[in-house]
Amino acid sequence: MSVPTAVSAERHAAGFFEALAPGGRRVLFGLAAVAICLLFAFPVFWLVLTSLRPGFAVYYVHRGTDFTLDNFHDVLAQEIVLKALFNSFMIATLATLLSLAVTATSGYMLSRFKGPIPNTWFSLIYVFRCVPYVSWVLPLYFVTRQLGIFDTYWGLLLPHVAVHICFFSWIMKGFFDGIDPSMEYAAMIDGCSRWGAFWRVAMPAAIPGLTALAILCWLYTWNEFLFALILTSHETPIITVVMAQFVHELGMEWHLMSATAVVALGPALIVTLFGQKYVIRGLKV
Amino acid sequence: MSLTLNERTRFMLALIAPAVLALAFFQVVPILVGANTSFRDWSLHDPQRTWVGLANYAHVLADREFLRVVLPNTFGFMTASVACSLVLGLSVALMLNRRFAGRVIVQSFVLLPLMVAPVIAAIMIRWMFNDQFGVVNAALGGLGIGPISWLTQRWTAFLVILMTDVWLWTPWFALILLAGLQSLPPEPFEAAQIDAASRWRTFRYITLPMLRPVIVVCVVIRSIDAFRTFDIVWTISGGGPARATEVFSIYAYVESFQFLNLGRGSAAAVIGAVTIVIFAMALYRILNRYVEVSR
Repeated sequence: MSVPTAVSAERHAAGFFEALAPGGRRVLFGLAAVAICLLFAFPVFWLVLTSLRPGFAVYYVHRGTDFTLDNFHDVLAQEIVLKALFNSFMIATLATLLSLAVTATSGYMLSRFKGPIPNTWFSLIYVFRCVPYVSWVLPLYFVTRQLGIFDTYWGLLLPHVAVHICFFSWIMKGFFDGIDPSMEYAAMIDGCSRWGAFWRVAMPAAIPGLTALAILCWLYTWNEFLFALILTSHETPIITVVMAQFVHELGMEWHLMSATAVVALGPALIVTLFGQKYVIRGLKV
Repeated sequence: MSLTLNERTRFMLALIAPAVLALAFFQVVPILVGANTSFRDWSLHDPQRTWVGLANYAHVLADREFLRVVLPNTFGFMTASVACSLVLGLSVALMLNRRFAGRVIVQSFVLLPLMVAPVIAAIMIRWMFNDQFGVVNAALGGLGIGPISWLTQRWTAFLVILMTDVWLWTPWFALILLAGLQSLPPEPFEAAQIDAASRWRTFRYITLPMLRPVIVVCVVIRSIDAFRTFDIVWTISGGGPARATEVFSIYAYVESFQFLNLGRGSAAAVIGAVTIVIFAMALYRILNRYVEVSR
């Protein structure tokens, strides 16, 4: 039943593209490219536009011509925003380094060894990857309280590392699978220890993959909200939580929220623009 | 296993030890605490936290809200979100895989959603779809379409949430699929070109089958994540209007923190976790078999 229709649809689609003149096809392609750019950029554009309007003008953003940089001034004058930016930067960077350190070894183990231990570990990772955040973020609050690390760097860092373990080990396994292990064997025959072979031979070969993962991890942690909301308080403000607090039931300070969001977008923009090349190169396994 | 581990096993265990420790303390322990909660009457009017066995589970599974609204919403959202962002992401990846002037610019634009915190994107979308001051209604008003109160009706609210999720995750698909496309060997494409195969046929019979393993991994990972979506639904609609757009994470959160019945909320979370684990395993099996057959 479905086969003839699929074939005819295919022929139809093929005919449609073949029928377009090369010039027409290029115009269509250009239009599609512009449409995609607009589609992806619009909410960000709107965010930037809102951040440039004075508080009273936010409600008619699409009309009016009042623009101001005061919002940025107001926001950056607040100590909590600066503190939150610094904390977020530290947490994102440290969580990236720590997650990569922990998962590189775990992914290497999954890739290089066969047997019951790697199999069990892989199944565990797969299962824990599926567990919804809601079912552990709340008990996590009690656990960090109990350990006395609530509202500190460690209290947010270690749960973040735990979040990344499952997915990153999986990806890391893929990176190491793509690296020929015979070099490591050669190194071991030449007198290198297992750790030496891992550290001096396998790790350098995995650097493109590690870079890609580091960039994605940094962006993810920088933008993370739920864990920051539940696991931190006044001592360790985090930028996403501070931003969201500008818009709540009592006061809708869209202009200040947007200004903070634009400031927070800065580092992410830099990381993405400089990193995209490495991400695509690194994910090519 | 003997008590004296050999050198190979010791190395294996040492490699995973930090990961195992972090996982145990910050995921396994919290999950066990949560599971313990789900068997108790952990609500404000019972300070003793009486052990009630499976009563919380029975209550959640008998709740019409959970069965008729939350489950269909969750699975519907997951399917629609993954399907839309896969198709869009693949189209974008195919486009970026070609050489054309301004490719890097388009690619940078496409990656914009990756830089924005999802919660900020959600707040921004809520603001854009505000029925009085939002830009969407202003634009529609310019076209002569009356103001639509997007977030007070079930299907429009659902649509807004879905669009936000697709907007956020299409770049992720595009990035990974682009990396996949660029690592494909060039020979089959050259052969197809020599045989004068049309673009569509080249895509359908060469690109798609060769890309299938990457697609499978993407779909499995994204399905799991879409199943447990919390922040954007919470920020855009809060599960409203009248709990009509609640997905299961929101249901568990609302039961725990708004109705202050932690036991019932934890039971809902456990039910959700078990569902998604089974679903993800089945999905992985099916897709994996599909990949092997198509090879």
